Amino acid sequence: MLSKSQAKTFFVGGTVVFSAAFLALTYDSMQQIPALTHDDKITPAVERGKMIWEDNNCMGCHTLFGEGAYYAPELTKVVERRGKPWLKLFLKDPQKMFPGERKMVQYGFNEAQIDDVIAFLEWCGNVDLQGFPAKPPLAGKVQNVVSSGGATGKPQPELFRTICVACHAVGGAGGTVGPPLDDVRNRKSRADMMAWIANPQSIKPGTPMPKIDMSEAQLNEIVDFLLSLSGSVPAAVAPAQPQPTFE
Amino acid sequence: MKYQSQKIAYWFFAAAMVLFSLQIVYGFIMGFARIGYDVLHDWIPFNTARAVHTNLLVVWLLCGFMGAAYYIIPEEVERDLEWPKLAWLQYFSLLIDGVIAVGCYHFNIWEGRKFLEIPRPLDYLVVVNVLMFIANIGVTMWKGKRSTTTSMVLFMGLLFAALLYLPGMVQVRNQTVDSFYRWWVVHLWVEGVWELIMGGMLCYLLIKLTGVDREVVEKWLYLIVGLTFLSGILGTGHHYYYIGTPRYWLIVGGVFSALEPLAFLGMAIYALAMAKRGERKHPNRIALTWSLGCAVMSFVGAGFLGMAHTLPQVNMYTHGTLVTAMHGHLAFWGAYAMIVLAMIAYALPLMTGRKLWDTPLASWAFWTSNIGMLGMTGALAVAGITQVNLERRMGLDFMLVQKEIQVHFIGMLLAAALFTVGIGMFIVMFFRHGLPNDEALGTDVAGDLVAVGK
Repeated sequence: MLSKSQAKTFFVGGTVVFSAAFLALTYDSMQQIPALTHDDKITPAVERGKMIWEDNNCMGCHTLFGEGAYYAPELTKVVERRGKPWLKLFLKDPQKMFPGERKMVQYGFNEAQIDDVIAFLEWCGNVDLQGFPAKPPLAGKVQNVVSSGGATGKPQPELFRTICVACHAVGGAGGTVGPPLDDVRNRKSRADMMAWIANPQSIKPGTPMPKIDMSEAQLNEIVDFLLSLSGSVPAAVAPAQPQPTFE
Repeated sequence: MKYQSQKIAYWFFAAAMVLFSLQIVYGFIMGFARIGYDVLHDWIPFNTARAVHTNLLVVWLLCGFMGAAYYIIPEEVERDLEWPKLAWLQYFSLLIDGVIAVGCYHFNIWEGRKFLEIPRPLDYLVVVNVLMFIANIGVTMWKGKRSTTTSMVLFMGLLFAALLYLPGMVQVRNQTVDSFYRWWVVHLWVEGVWELIMGGMLCYLLIKLTGVDREVVEKWLYLIVGLTFLSGILGTGHHYYYIGTPRYWLIVGGVFSALEPLAFLGMAIYALAMAKRGERKHPNRIALTWSLGCAVMSFVGAGFLGMAHTLPQVNMYTHGTLVTAMHGHLAFWGAYAMIVLAMIAYALPLMTGRKLWDTPLASWAFWTSNIGMLGMTGALAVAGITQVNLERRMGLDFMLVQKEIQVHFIGMLLAAALFTVGIGMFIVMFFRHGLPNDEALGTDVAGDLVAVGK
């Protein structure tokens, strides 16, 4: 049976060997990380963004590279997912975008700070993370894959393309928070739409639909676009129809 | 208790109890926020509550480790602490540092890196503080009458923990490099050198409580901490899968973290075997219960549940979800909280001379807190697995999924209430012992039996 001194040798020897291996791998990683992370693309704006990220402990709710807390969304690919215009609007007043929902602290960032944060997150989005976050493997099986055949109409206005699609889908592409809008013209009149978009809370208090600041021209442009959509909502996305009952 | 200077341990343990209670309060704040009652949002937003919750955990565990060292080392090396007054200075400065840090979090002042939120200037105070502690313990051992494996392992754990704090203080511009060295502190602490501390404490308790020959107990201690480092050092790789590091970490991290449960399994078998082999029936049964509970629960929480999501193929989908929180809760409870509570349960009667072992309340505290913690882990597991499936596998929106799993946090809160009752009973027991006193001196190494009046 093993003696105590042999056991000690095992402990000391193992520790030395594996520490050495770990240090060697660390050295090699440090050589490779600049290329994997595009270290040369770390601009002063990215560095400032990282400081803002840390100074406000964003990791205390969000995750980045999958690290952090699990109270708010993963942000590694957020610039790709939401787009810069949406993020700018959101960071100006986070609670306004999700009224009545889980709250983000109102940091009151100025324009320059918002740009820095976005620059940092954009840099993070381009780091080679060995495939993380993976594309959801079952997404195709549970969501209706729709061609854009459903909705034909005018091209999407800038504001719609960058902001509204975060929650609403058109032609099967977009968010699932609000209803799809392919056939909205069958349900709502022009006046309805104008009033609703201009101030959702006044029509339905407590709705998660935010009030987005826009000019009269932008509002008209969006409503024109919605009225031009001639699609029907794909079956799997549409709310279930009430079943006929026996009389 | 044999030496005057061991009394300081009591105050570290008392501080640990207070900080632990506060940690639980902040846990409840987060739990309620998750079911929609974030009424404190304007004063204590989630990121503040989270930073306070995890930092208080670390500070109270460190208080427990330091108290344990101040108690164990004099007894092992057979002399008083070298500088008892320095120990007091270290005690107060640690608490002041901790209170300032926690206060800062309420005013949006921090370093903002997961688990290392302490504002940078306070980091330097921590370093000075730990130097005082290490120096005091180190010199006491140096001048001691004998040198034991138990005390050496404990000291090495504490020393390496202090050294590994340093890489976490370096400021870098690249987020990947930042994360890389942050894990040197976080991972190499909890899955490396803290296990040395835990092993040293467990070994000491087993020698005292079971009466098995020191040579035998210490030989196995070497093997187990050997296994810990063998798997744990390269096991750091499981944090380097998806943060912008080279691909080989998927293999290195995967293989070595698959070995990590072995160390914990070894620890559990070792503790149970020693307890069975021991002939001495020490009257402090509850301390033995906590010690064995610690060995078993650390295997379940740290070893088994860690293994459950450490393979790269699994971790791709569980990384950054509540599955991590599930593992974290039982791992910290089993491995570190329980060893500190075991040490307290053992040392308190000897420091105060009040033989309050084997009371019904003490048993209730053990079982209630453990069942509560298992319930919390279960609730987090269901929430975590649902989140993985809906969000990561099916691609549903984050907030939509959060609403789906909200109900599990009601279960979590109920289990947490049970846990709190258990810890409440433990704390009542703690203060019933009264203060350490000179009459308790003389319950020496050869006989904890003296304390029993035999």
